[in-house]
This record gives sequence, structure tokens and C-alpha cells, in this order.
Amino acid sequence: MTTVDRAAPPSEPRTRGTRRGRRSRDWVGYLPYLLPGLIAFTVVILIPFGMNIWYSLHKWKGGNAPLRWYGLGNYTDLLADEQFWTSFRNSIAMILAMVVVPTLIGLLLATTLFDVLGKRFGPRVASVLRATYYLPQILPVAVAGVLWNWILNSQTGAVNVVLREIGVANPPNWLGSTDTALPTVMLVLIWIQIGYPVVIFMSALQRVDPELYEAAELDGAGWWHRFRAITIPQIKPETFVITLTCTVAALKVFGPIYVLTRGGPESSTLVPSYYSYLNFFDKSKVGYGAAIANVLTVLIIAIAVVIMVLQARSARREEEGR
Amino acid sequence: MASQRKRYVAGALALALPLALAACGGDSSGGGGGSDGDTLTVWHYENDDSAMGQAWAKAIDIFEDEHPDVTVTVENQTFEQIQKNAKIFLTGDDVPDVMEYNKGNATAGQLASQGLITPLTEEADSRGWADTLPDSIQTTAMYDEQGLMGSGDWYGVPNYGEFVGVYYNQDMLDAAGIAQPTTFDEFEAALATFKAAGITPLAEAGAEYPLGQLWYELVLHYGDRDLIDDYQLFADDVDFQNEAFTQATEKLDEWIKAGYIASDSAALTAEDMGVSFINGTYPIMVSGSWWFGRLVEEIPFTWTQALFPDNTMHPGSSGNLWVVPENAANKDLAYDFIDITLRPEVQEILGQKGGLPVAGDSSAITDEKTKEMTENFESILDEDGLAFYPDWPVPGYYDVIVSELQSLVNQSKSPSEVLDGLSTAYQDGKTDLLEG
Amino acid sequence: MAAPIETLPTPVATGRPPRPPRAKATDVDRRHRRGTARWFVLAAAVGVAVVMLVPFVIMVLNAFKAPADYSQNGPLSWPAEFYTEGLRNFWTRVNFPEKLVNSIWISGAVAIFAVVLSLFSSYALGVGRVKGRMWIVTLFLLANMLPQEVLVYPLFQMAQEVGLSNNQWSVIIIFTVIQAAFGTYLLSSVLGTFPKALLEAASLDGAGRWRTLWGVVFPVVRPTLSVLLIFFFIWTWNEFFIPLVMLTTNATQTIPVALASLQGDRMMDAPTTNAGALVSMIPAIVFFLIFQRTLTRGITAGAVK
Repeated sequence: MTTVDRAAPPSEPRTRGTRRGRRSRDWVGYLPYLLPGLIAFTVVILIPFGMNIWYSLHKWKGGNAPLRWYGLGNYTDLLADEQFWTSFRNSIAMILAMVVVPTLIGLLLATTLFDVLGKRFGPRVASVLRATYYLPQILPVAVAGVLWNWILNSQTGAVNVVLREIGVANPPNWLGSTDTALPTVMLVLIWIQIGYPVVIFMSALQRVDPELYEAAELDGAGWWHRFRAITIPQIKPETFVITLTCTVAALKVFGPIYVLTRGGPESSTLVPSYYSYLNFFDKSKVGYGAAIANVLTVLIIAIAVVIMVLQARSARREEEGR
Repeated sequence: MASQRKRYVAGALALALPLALAACGGDSSGGGGGSDGDTLTVWHYENDDSAMGQAWAKAIDIFEDEHPDVTVTVENQTFEQIQKNAKIFLTGDDVPDVMEYNKGNATAGQLASQGLITPLTEEADSRGWADTLPDSIQTTAMYDEQGLMGSGDWYGVPNYGEFVGVYYNQDMLDAAGIAQPTTFDEFEAALATFKAAGITPLAEAGAEYPLGQLWYELVLHYGDRDLIDDYQLFADDVDFQNEAFTQATEKLDEWIKAGYIASDSAALTAEDMGVSFINGTYPIMVSGSWWFGRLVEEIPFTWTQALFPDNTMHPGSSGNLWVVPENAANKDLAYDFIDITLRPEVQEILGQKGGLPVAGDSSAITDEKTKEMTENFESILDEDGLAFYPDWPVPGYYDVIVSELQSLVNQSKSPSEVLDGLSTAYQDGKTDLLEG
Repeated sequence: MAAPIETLPTPVATGRPPRPPRAKATDVDRRHRRGTARWFVLAAAVGVAVVMLVPFVIMVLNAFKAPADYSQNGPLSWPAEFYTEGLRNFWTRVNFPEKLVNSIWISGAVAIFAVVLSLFSSYALGVGRVKGRMWIVTLFLLANMLPQEVLVYPLFQMAQEVGLSNNQWSVIIIFTVIQAAFGTYLLSSVLGTFPKALLEAASLDGAGRWRTLWGVVFPVVRPTLSVLLIFFFIWTWNEFFIPLVMLTTNATQTIPVALASLQGDRMMDAPTTNAGALVSMIPAIVFFLIFQRTLTRGITAGAVK
């Protein structure tokens, strides 16, 4: 622990680089706190990532089989691989289903719960509803897959049974037709994802100073105007967090695809993670699977960096008072 | 503040310590350690009340009698884990002494070619396994350096077999006035009669293995042993546009167009198919002997099981293999155990429970239905008619077959396009496999 | 990051002359209309909740249904009789109590360690303002961005080397890092705008960095830490893939792995799977409900900024 110079007068904490660490704000002194994280991270993440890059430069069947040098061959093969491109196209659909829609609906639900129901029916009601919306997040993906397969079964599933009752002659083959499979999977993903933004947005809304709203109301601003002008800017940080984490999750999505469609029918719901998994474990093309995973990772990093830069810029603008 | 921190740290330690000790205590069993002789660790993924589970329980009893100072530990594993991750965990030290594993190029073959399992040829010779097991069963027990089955060293020992046949809902056949088909033409006529009566005849599943197996039955119908040797064992090149493949795929296409298979079955799973047969939605199900136990339990109507009409070859193979990991610690005990599983007492249990033993005697089986099925299996063995499964030749082929046949069901591809798709994936996979 | 809560944002409603709300008649009318409107809103929200719950209802229905009943009548039917065999079957077949303890231990340990690790790292990044912190946070986030199959082979081999094979500590360490990545990201945003006044007061009192952390920072961000605790627990609870690879014997395995064992090569026992899933979700739900109150109390004081 460093000693603090008691005689130091209080002044702006912008002094840096004082080698003797007179102020406990000198950042170098904080490095020990960063150390456990950095070490753990290097061991658990960086080294495996490095090894993965190494694998991707080889052809390898896994286990005790020999690694055969292949240079950038796996990557050039990727570029020519039709399935690879299909999987990335489907990723865009995933982003729509796991980021855009849940964020919008989540915000709507959170606002409704917080503004309307919380205030007029009491916080218990809002809490119960929120827990309900979050429940799909707690359900293991494998089980969710089984349940949704039952509901969407083209012959015996609840949806089609109901549709037939109300007179629809040929209800769609939800998960079996190449036209409807992807949208159906997207709907299930929305169901799974909604709870996450709702929970985060609700806590964000609680953070907003009610005086802002009162002031606006006195000024005669209607609900929508208040929402747009106060709420949305105030909860921008949470919005960024949600956007970033959901986008990463959407690009990485694996579980729901695996349990719902296994990438089918006819590869219409194939996503990069699943394609990589197939190569790693089913086809025993570890080098190729590693290459796919690396490309995916680079893409994720690129998008994440973009979002984070936007976030930092927006925060800086806030601090400067716009 | 300080007290708060102290409380927190104390709490964390209190939580961590006892559990840490517990965790350290509760870890790896079997593998590394002691000389051959203390323990035998067995891993498998069959249900305890299945035929295999019961037969193996008996085998363990016998083993314990013969090796009184050895403790046997059995781990019931997950199919997923062993199937997908064997390549990973078998490189370590924490491996069982004997393990159940899937047969075929894409599975046991891979492990064999990677040196992860022990060659068993010596034991097979000295203990006479080669004599106990029928020839067609032995094909899946041997793999060469590239991991192709059929020749090379012994790497696994099967205890039971499996095959694909046809299950009929006798009540529905009777109601429609159809006699159980004995020829292919009668079979097609039956399908047509059902369809005319407004009943879709075939229970199917496009999202998993069933549709592929039906397609394969048709290929076997129009093909011959040479074609299968080429296809499965890479004896020669395969032309996917040849007569047999084309006729089979076109026939399947014809059946789909005629409505013998539900047009929306592309997303149905094997589970869906089984359930729909059990609840009487469809009268005919072409699938494997693994359904037997469950059908016996759950079906309320009269039903029968028969071989696909007019086929000399049938999808089927040996059951899963017992393999001995290369890093196992107690290999001799493992060999003893495997030997015991092939003994008549154990094989008889398999037979009685409908497990299709490889070295059993079907005449001793008491239950009628079980006997019928076992006799069907034996007749296949006698004719050397086991043709394995369509997804076996190359790793990852299962997904290709599923995908291509889904296109057929959805009528988005023509038969020759489907065959093209199958051909490309086959050739690619074969190249990868042969390059080692 | 965003403005701390003390400074008022530029008032946005100004710039417009105050105007009485148009198209709405009198206050009384408005209140009355809002009175009934709220019931519609409630109905809609409840409607959404019902839609969210439908699959769970089906799960519960099938958890108590006999297998023959399920095959005969399908998954959507009401069970013919209340069948608890499936539950009991699952309980004994996978030795549920053992798996429960394993899961609780792993998820709990990860939750706590990850929160502590996040706190330490974000303390350095947010309060300490280590140079290049945005890039360090991005680097940490890499942990969340890597697909798991990338990590599995190398991690298994490393665990072998250090003798942690088939040991729950390997899983705990791995997930601590992965979850802490998210925690560090979130928490460093929060601590980035930690009121400097409090920190200065502490340093004036002669508190070093350690004491400041526990004495000043920790109490203020405790609500955020609670949220992280919940998320980490629940996220780790359902993790399947890495435990599947790293934990090879029954004694060490977790609930999701046990659930998967019900799905064989070709057969699946549906009612038992549902019973198992139901029972497996309960601890996670309980955990969530207990800690939900902290969510209600809000992530305050410039929490997620």
C-alpha cells in the first residue's frame, strides 16, 4: 500500500505521472488491481486464442493425429465456401432478431412497466411481470428447443392445431420449410432475448431523475415528447451496453440453432458458430473450424470496437454538455 | 467499513474452503495411478433398464466374482460427450479402462487412426473373438491406419447388433383390408391403398436419420453388394448418378409426390416419427430395432415387425463397440471384461430383452415378439446382408444427407440434383479421409 | 461515459413557449381517460406475459405425464394422471442432489470470484484511470467474444498439464474470466464516473487505495454488484459446452450435462427431460427472485453510466 502525503492540498485530480505517487490517483499505483484480471485473462483466453490461430494454419483431425501445415489455405478455402457466406448472411438476420427487435420491444415493455404499471398498480405488479419476461432467459436452451419444437411442429404443434381450428387449410411448415424456418427461428430468439433488455432498461429508468420529468410536464410536454427528449438520452449508456452485448451474442449464437433446426432445413438457418462447430467436431476438420471461428471473432471484435467508440464519443459529448 | 470488509472476506473464505476441499476430493476416478489390478472403470451411455444395461450388469457381476479384489466403477455418460469429445479427453490420463463407442469410419475409425484406442487383434486371436462373432459383424470391429473399417487391426468389440426393418400397425392394415406385404410390389400397393383411403402411410422424419434410412433401403433394393462395398469401404469409386442411386432417389421422389410421406415432414424428428406411429397416426414406420423396447411398452394396438420386402441387404450393423483407450491403466482387466460380455450367459440376457446379441441363440428366447425380431436379424447375418448406414462413409455426412433429402421432401431439388449434392460432399470427405 | 447524476442535463423542454396540451380537453377528462387506459395497458402487458409463459406451461404439463400417455396423446394434452415417476426417475438416474451441489458450487463460486475480479479490474480502470483503459476493456471483452469451441481444445490440454483435469476448479476459473469480462466492462463504466468528492475525502482521511476500495467504492456500487452476481450465477448455471468437455465423470458434472444424458443416440425420454428441466430451473429462479429486490432498489448513484 502506498503512503499518502497528508500535507498535499486538495486540488483537481488531473495530476498524473508524478513518479512518487503522491496522489493515490496516480494510475500506475492501481496496476496491482489489474494484475489478477490480466493474468487470468492471458491464461484462459489469450493463450487458447493464440493456439487456435496456430491450429487454423494447419490441417488437423484432432486427438493424436498429426498437424499438417497448410498456411493460409483454410482461409482461402473459406472465401470460396458457399456455406460460409450463407452463414454470415444469416448472422444479419440474427442481429435483427437478437438486437434490434428485443431492444425496441424491451424498451417499450420496460417503459410500460415502469411508467404506467409501476406507478398505477404498484411495484409488485411490475416486478412480477418483469420476472415473467425474464423467465425465458433462465430456461436452458436445450429444453427451450424441445418445447418450441413441440409448439411449432407442423402436424401436432399447438400453433398449427389452432390455425387449423380457425380454418387455415395449410398452415405453414414452420421449421421445415426454407421460407419460414429462418423467420421462425428469429421469433423464438426474440422470445428468449426480450427479458434481458427489459431488466436492464427498468433499472436504467429508475436512475433517471424524476425532477426532469416533472419539469417537462410542467412545461406541457406530452408523454411521447418526454420519452423522446428525456428518457432516451438519459438511458443511452444502458442502450449501448445492451446493443454491444446482444450484438456479440447474436454473432456468436449457437445453442438455439442447434436445438431448433441444426442449421437446416437445407442450410437455411446455418450460422457461423454452428458451421465452425460442425467442422470441429463432426467433420474432424479442426483447422478449418478454427479458421471459421477466427474470422467470426475478428468480425465480432471489429463491430464491438465500432460500438464502443460510438459509446465513448457519446459519453464525451454528454460530459461536455453537448 | 473495515469490519464489513472483514466479514466479506471471512464469508468468502468460509464458502471457499470446505467446498474447495470437497471439490478436490470429488475429482477424477479411474485412469492413472496403481498397477493393473485395483480397479476397473467402465464408461457407457446406455440406459440401465435397456437390454444392454441389464446384460452388462450381469457381466459386471461375473467379473466381480472372477476378480474379487477389483472394484468396478461404472460411469453412465452422455452420448454427446463421448461421441463428440472422445478425441479431446482420450488424449489425457483421466480415461476409463473400457468404454462404449460408436462404430464406423467417422467415429471409431477416427479414434483408431489417431492412436487413441488400443489395437485388440492379439486378444481377439488368443481369446477366440474372431470365431465367436459372425463375419459381417466383424467388419465394424476392424480399422486400418486410415481409420477405414473392414480390415486391419481389431479395435473394438461389439456385443449386440441392430438393423432397420418395417413396423406395421396390424390393426390399421386389417381395417384397410391389406395383408402384410411380402414383396416390394405388394408394399407399394399397400401404400397406394392407404393413400386412397385418405391415410398417409409412412411415418417419417426429415430432420434426423429416418428419411435417410428409407432412402438407403431403396438404394439397397436396387443395388448390390459390390455397390455397397464401394460406397462404404471405398473398394472402388462411386458414381452417384448410376442406376441404383438414380432409381432409388426417383422412387423416393415418386412416393413423396404421391403423398405417401407427409409433405411437411422436413422438420420432424425421429421422436416425432415414433410418437406418431405409437399413437396410430401412420400405419407404417421404417426404422430400427432400437425402437423395439419402447414400442413394446407403449403401443396399445397389434403390431408386427418385418424386413423390408425383397431386399437382400438391410441397413444395420453391429451395435456399439467396447474400446480400450490407449492411455488406460488396467488394460488386462479390460480385456477380461470384454471377454465376459461375449459369454453365453450375458449374450442370452441380451437376447431375452430384445437386444439382438451377436453370439446368442434365438431359439432360447421366450417372448414371441422378441424372438421374431431376433430371427429377422439372424437371417440378415446368415445372408451377410448388413449394409451399415448411409451416413457412415465420411465424417459429417449425416448432415449432408439430412439436408439433401429435406430438399427432396420440400420438392425444391430434383432427384439428380440431390444426388449431385450427395456426390460432392462424399468426394470431398473421402479425399480428406484418405489424405490422413 | 455519460454525465454523472449531479449535473443537470440541458433542459430539453425549454426553447418552446409553454403551451396547454392541445387536443386534450380538461384535466378531469384526461385523468378519467388515463384511468381506463391503464387497464388496457395492463391487459396488454399481461397478454405478453402469457405468451412468454406458454412454453413453460407445456413443460410443466409434460413433466408430470407418463411416457405412454405422451406418445399417445402428444405433448399438448393434459396428463391423464399426475405422474411423478418421471421426476423420481430423473432424480435417481442422474443422482440429482449430487449434480445440484456441483452446479450450486460452480455457479456460486464463479459469481463471487467474477464479481471480485471485476471489481478489482474496474477499480484500476475506472477509478485509477489506467492508461489505455478503453483498449484494455475491449481486450477483456474478447473473452466474451470468442466462441467456446475455440477455447475448448487448448483449455483441456492446459488443464491436463496442471493436473486440473476433471476438476471443477478448471471450469470455475474459465467462467470466472469469461463473466468477469462483462463485469469489468459494466463496472468500469460505472466507476469511471464515480463521484470524485468521495474519493478525495477518503484520500484526505489517509486511506490508501485498498481501503478506499472497500470503504468508499464498494458500498456505493453494491447494487450493481448484486446485479452482476445474479447475471453471473444464472449465466453459469446453464452453461453446457465447456463443463461437458472439462468434467468427465458423474461426480463432478453439472445439471445441464445431466439433462443432456437423457438424450441418447436415437431416443429421447421426453417426460423425464421435462421433469428434469423443471427441477433444474427452480434453483435459478429462486436465486433470481431473491435478488430481484436489489434490481428494484435500482442501480443507483451513476450506476450504469
